[in-house]
Amino acid sequence: MRYVDEFRDPELGRAVSAEILSLVEPGRHYKVMEVCGGHTHSIYKYGVDDLLPANVELVHGPGCPVCVIPMGRVDDGIAVAQQEGVIFTCFGDMMRVPGSEGSLLEAKARGADIRMVYSPLDALRIAKQNPDREVVFFAIGFETTAPSTALTLKRARAEGVSNFSCMCSHVTIVPPLRALLESPDLRLDGFIGPGHVATVVGARPFEFIPAAYGKPVVVAGFEPLDILQSVAMILRQLRDGRCAVENQYKRVVPYEGNLRALEVMAEVFELRPHFEWRGLGFISHSGLRLSDAYAELDTERRFAVPGVRVADPKACQCGEVLKGVIKPWECKVFGTACTPERPIGTCMVSSEGACAAYYNFGRFAREREVV
Amino acid sequence: MTVVALDPSRGLALCAGEDGRSSVETALVEPVVLGDRLLVHAGTAIAHLGVS
Repeated sequence: MRYVDEFRDPELGRAVSAEILSLVEPGRHYKVMEVCGGHTHSIYKYGVDDLLPANVELVHGPGCPVCVIPMGRVDDGIAVAQQEGVIFTCFGDMMRVPGSEGSLLEAKARGADIRMVYSPLDALRIAKQNPDREVVFFAIGFETTAPSTALTLKRARAEGVSNFSCMCSHVTIVPPLRALLESPDLRLDGFIGPGHVATVVGARPFEFIPAAYGKPVVVAGFEPLDILQSVAMILRQLRDGRCAVENQYKRVVPYEGNLRALEVMAEVFELRPHFEWRGLGFISHSGLRLSDAYAELDTERRFAVPGVRVADPKACQCGEVLKGVIKPWECKVFGTACTPERPIGTCMVSSEGACAAYYNFGRFAREREVV
Repeated sequence: MTVVALDPSRGLALCAGEDGRSSVETALVEPVVLGDRLLVHAGTAIAHLGVS
């Protein structure tokens, strides 16, 4: 298949792997963070890290949309879903994220009308089919999914659908990266930039990383060869003493992003002063809410939302995993009390979560040859 | 996903992919024609991938 087969070619993979080996400095340990959960999934699914020398370590970042939703936000969603006459809609992964008293799926089992949708358009369709009910869409995700929510809200207004609203939990990628770079816990050599977020926002927003922190960034695609090539590009920058934003995913990502998407997002959303992230705490200007112009479609203005704050379970170390401080298998409950079937932490829920990806694919081969 | 039918009046396309067919919002990547390959997230096309 075009765009797929050529990026999964084993011979080319081995060639790039050999190139990577030639770029590393023996005795130096390299830590490269893949920001996006989609990259984490591909790395484990295709065994990309098995093609890297042992002194090149891939560190998982905070770019899994489901993983970063705090327990309190799940509790808020359940509180709205349990209100009289509400049909609460959300993506499938979100239904399994644990809150302090269970997940949305468990709330559904207790009688709340909670429905899985594949897109906000599906939620709007449900609203049109149920004019006597209030339909809420629980919007999550980074800048990749936010344009879809924004367009649906514009469509709802244009079509006069008054029983539809959005509980906006969209987040933005730059503030947590800045927080990670300021963290004393982590020493990173470079970043594999999030290819699909960059499809919307472009590569330019990542320029602060080389400019202010002296680290290379390579925006990358999601096939195994994309990731290997992006690692080679980062290592080449490090070898040459350079740091810049480079775009490995040029077949999809324009450097300036999708200007129409940015425009519609700017019309519908505004930045929250702060937003809570699972494991990372409150980060300034990192979450989106509906602008005043779209107030009538804002769930948080139409319903009583408790605004619950809940500490993560003590056993769960999702925060450390999301910050790249520990690997999934170093969590105390990984694979025992916490599994994809019965997750304790968010990182074990979504296929893009580092723990779920490692549990499903990576745990079988961890040892690598030392350079 | 690949565009298999268009509904220009509603700004939607019917697209086929590995997981079947679904309606896709095309406002961010217009103009779209039959056979276009689109990168779709949450029911919205965010990039053109060329023509299949």
